[in-house]
Amino acid sequence: MQLRGLGVIVLLWLAGCQLVEFSPNQAYVPARERSLTAQNLRRLEVQPADDTLRFVFVGDTQRFYDETEAFVASVNQQRAVDFVLVGGDISDFGLTREFRWVNQRLNALRVPFLTVIGNHDLVGNGRAVYQHIYGPLNYSFQYQQTRFICLDTNGREYGFGRQVPDMAWLRQQLADTAGSRRTIVVGHMPPTDEDFDPELVSAYTAALRSCPQLVFHLAAHVHRFTAGQPFHDGVTYLTTYSLQKKRYHILTVWGQREFRLETVAYGAGS
Amino acid sequence: MLQHILSVALVAAPLVASASPISSVAAPDTLGVTTTASIPRATSGNSRPWYRPNHVVLQTGGGLGMVAGGAGFTLKDRLELDILVGYVPEKYAGSALSLASAKLLYSPWTLPIKDKWSVKPLTVGGYFSYTHGTINDEEPNQYTKGYYWFSTDTRIGALLGSRLSYALPPTASGYARNLSAFYELGTNDLYILSYAQNRKSLSPADILVLSLGLKLDI
Repeated sequence: MQLRGLGVIVLLWLAGCQLVEFSPNQAYVPARERSLTAQNLRRLEVQPADDTLRFVFVGDTQRFYDETEAFVASVNQQRAVDFVLVGGDISDFGLTREFRWVNQRLNALRVPFLTVIGNHDLVGNGRAVYQHIYGPLNYSFQYQQTRFICLDTNGREYGFGRQVPDMAWLRQQLADTAGSRRTIVVGHMPPTDEDFDPELVSAYTAALRSCPQLVFHLAAHVHRFTAGQPFHDGVTYLTTYSLQKKRYHILTVWGQREFRLETVAYGAGS
Repeated sequence: MLQHILSVALVAAPLVASASPISSVAAPDTLGVTTTASIPRATSGNSRPWYRPNHVVLQTGGGLGMVAGGAGFTLKDRLELDILVGYVPEKYAGSALSLASAKLLYSPWTLPIKDKWSVKPLTVGGYFSYTHGTINDEEPNQYTKGYYWFSTDTRIGALLGSRLSYALPPTASGYARNLSAFYELGTNDLYILSYAQNRKSLSPADILVLSLGLKLDI
């Protein structure tokens, strides 16, 4: 009887620490590893605010665990950083273990981290894994008078068909400027990429253009830094490095739409 | 930490145990062939048709399902081919997954313990699995060729394990019958690749997957 009780405990423990894995595509983690977006936003809320918004932006942590550790060590040396924003492709194969490996390392950050979903995160059952571990694919939050709109822009993963990005939701978020003086939009896939739903490019860029308090649009995916106004409409689009490049950006935002972009290189070469 | 210790212990167990049969064979005084355990299987099958399985399997974990069941064939009590169908409920995966898998297992030694008990200290093997029912299932024309170099639904992997068997009364037709409990520690192609490229920060224990199961000769 006692032995059976012990057996049950051992089994539960094995499932809890994920040694007994039902499928690499499973979407199940212990309770403390769920809803990380909400958890990090709560941390951000209680963080003492100053008058300048300053955050780290990096992309594509996929399958770069050694590099993630070096990244965390570097960010932890930065002063006055409010949070870290990961531009998607957290995983490479959309598997639960990959997300856990990345999160275990990002948890060593002294500041909260937030994410958007990347195309690799949507492979297999990645959509469910992301929702389980982080939360909604589209979400917004306000910090330092700035409204951040984080959304899924990976149209190809849905077979296009004008579903993603969710334009109705985006327009609603862009219109909601109460209590903020700036807006920043973040998605993994830039609208200049062929993996962005081609039928939504003009609607997407038009929506951004119509938001007078938009500072810039942030994306990753291309694994390199690009900056410009590709639609010649006064809207700035930035993309950042993949984590493998051992470089990340620090964005400082103040005033109405003023910003400064710093590039930090760390570790030996790239 | 506990998980790491357990993983190491489970990996080491079959290897340590499998070192012993060689020495016990070398020491004639302790040779245990007179036990009642029916090993080797004297009656393993000339009379049954080739397609009739030798055993049935039920297991959990190993990346092959929350529950996976199936049947398998045995060759000379050492080589086995198990065909399994597994299932993961929607609650644990976001969509209900059905998995079809094949395991090829080689267990070189069977050691009698006492009475009806025996152990196969080492099983090495490989598996192939196909997962049906993922949310994003690579529709035709969704991607350009080679967009993702890996398959999202087909996995191959390797495993290592041990088995404890209990000899049940033989079948009506005289076949020896064992009920066995086994464990297998395995990993898959994508985990191996992840580890290979991150040897500093990932440990082998990070990529291990455990399965536990029962096997019954029929």
